[in-house]
Amino acid sequence: MLMDPTLGRVIERWRDGDRDAFEEVVDRYGLQLLRTARLILRDQALAEDAIQETFLKAWQRIGSLRDEDPGPWLTRIAMNESISTYRRRHRFQALTERFGRLGGGKVEVSTEARLDLAQALDRLTAEQRAAVALHYYQDLSVEDTARLLKVPVDTMKSRLKTALRRLRELTGSDEALA
Amino acid sequence: MSDDFERNLREHLHSEAEETREFPRRLRGRIRDGIAPRTRARMAPQLALAGALVLVAVAVLVVRNPHVIFTDVPSTIKSIFQQPTPSPTPQPFTCTDRSGGTTGASSQLSTIRTAPHDGYDRIVFEFSGQIPSYDLSRQDSATFVRDASGQPVTLDGSVGIKLVFRNTDAASGVQADAKPALISVKEIAQIGNFERVLSYGIGLASSQCVRVLELSGPARLVVDVATTASASTTAAPTPLPTQPAATDLGQFSCLDHSGGVDSGSAMQLTHVRVAHQAGFDRIVFEFAPQPGATAHLPAYTLSRQASAKFIKDPSGQPVTMRGSAGLRVVFHGASGATSYSESRDQTPNLPVVQEVAQLGDFEAVLSWGAGLSRASCLRTLELSNPTRLVIDVQTP
Repeated sequence: MLMDPTLGRVIERWRDGDRDAFEEVVDRYGLQLLRTARLILRDQALAEDAIQETFLKAWQRIGSLRDEDPGPWLTRIAMNESISTYRRRHRFQALTERFGRLGGGKVEVSTEARLDLAQALDRLTAEQRAAVALHYYQDLSVEDTARLLKVPVDTMKSRLKTALRRLRELTGSDEALA
Repeated sequence: MSDDFERNLREHLHSEAEETREFPRRLRGRIRDGIAPRTRARMAPQLALAGALVLVAVAVLVVRNPHVIFTDVPSTIKSIFQQPTPSPTPQPFTCTDRSGGTTGASSQLSTIRTAPHDGYDRIVFEFSGQIPSYDLSRQDSATFVRDASGQPVTLDGSVGIKLVFRNTDAASGVQADAKPALISVKEIAQIGNFERVLSYGIGLASSQCVRVLELSGPARLVVDVATTASASTTAAPTPLPTQPAATDLGQFSCLDHSGGVDSGSAMQLTHVRVAHQAGFDRIVFEFAPQPGATAHLPAYTLSRQASAKFIKDPSGQPVTMRGSAGLRVVFHGASGATSYSESRDQTPNLPVVQEVAQLGDFEAVLSWGAGLSRASCLRTLELSNPTRLVIDVQTP
């Protein structure tokens, strides 16, 4: 993605180690990244930790940013940080999810226990939430979402479809379609 | 194809995301601390080289003149250790906010002491462990907001200092509220101790500059608050006497200001006026609510700066206004994009206010700057019908 010339100058200053320029980048992209991380991590403090790490890594790795808008590059780092933060903090939950998948098990939700969307999002995996956040919150195409999360497009289509089906089940919306 | 469920999901995600209204200041501070140069680490090779040179010099001395090593050096070392630890080099008092400490250090506040000194009041925060990462910010009132509960608390005094320590808690014996009988420092109260973020409010008798020292063995953060005008050797000028006609408008203060309300729909900027009056230059920002919305003064911050150079938002482009000092005014929840049709760069050439120009209008954050002929103290008035923020800049 091409950069506007003003942003290009800010990035050049950042490449030269100008901390003020870097803080301008933090101001420009920080809020959107923090909001996306919070959608994935479901926790403000964890999201702030992930975004702190994102920007510290970005500061150190400016050499790997090509001559392009830093937005997608920062988003990719933020998504990796968010997912790995979630995995670190929810190892046990991740383990049970994995065993559930291996055994073909599926947690059934009774009609009485229908959840609202926020609770249903809590039940998705971090990878599914990252896909949902980028596609439905940041309005990225399936192709761009797949590129940012470094998975094939078909995998992303399948992940989004699975996430959506799960959200419908959990909220009872699938019955309305039947 | 998008159906109702996907539309609901999209709307839900947006409303959940917008619960985070702004990028937290503390997070910006943590990132800034994280990229700060590591002076000690960079000095390590030089220190190693210096140590090696000292060892070589000692070895040469032993060979050439052994009695110096065995008689003179021990007595010199003894005399050094018998002397009291020298006071740190005096630093100037400045009227700016500070940050410091060690990022990532986990500490416990063990005691707080206060004492009067010639020209300043001293507050010592002593820690077991290292001095934690901290932010010191000055404010123009002695009212603070308690962490977690959000309840306001007003301390003795008329202005304040807020100190926030990260990754720290307070030992059980540390006093939560103290009222030392000092000239400047009137009250020190804990205003937060939540999830290892420890905050203190300090009520001061009047606006004073501060000096911050970081000492080790034991780890101490020393905050010196000036008690006389002479101790405040830099930056903020002393407020000049207010003209009699303006005494009912409040005092001028040499601190940054903030106010307004960050709620409801964005207010629309309609006018910006600048004029000179006896004793001050006045800048007025006038707002109107959107159709059907309730009028309110949007949340604002006024930041004084030592130059007339500003950065435009969000382009990042530098802009230099007329004058040698500046004032940045930022409104949150305001825009002039469709409502403001007057000049976005005014050069009134008043005694102090030389230029007033828009710096940014992006995502309901509206920024303006003022180029000033000299650093001046300010007074703000919040007026309604129509909604206005009045900024009076003191003139000589």
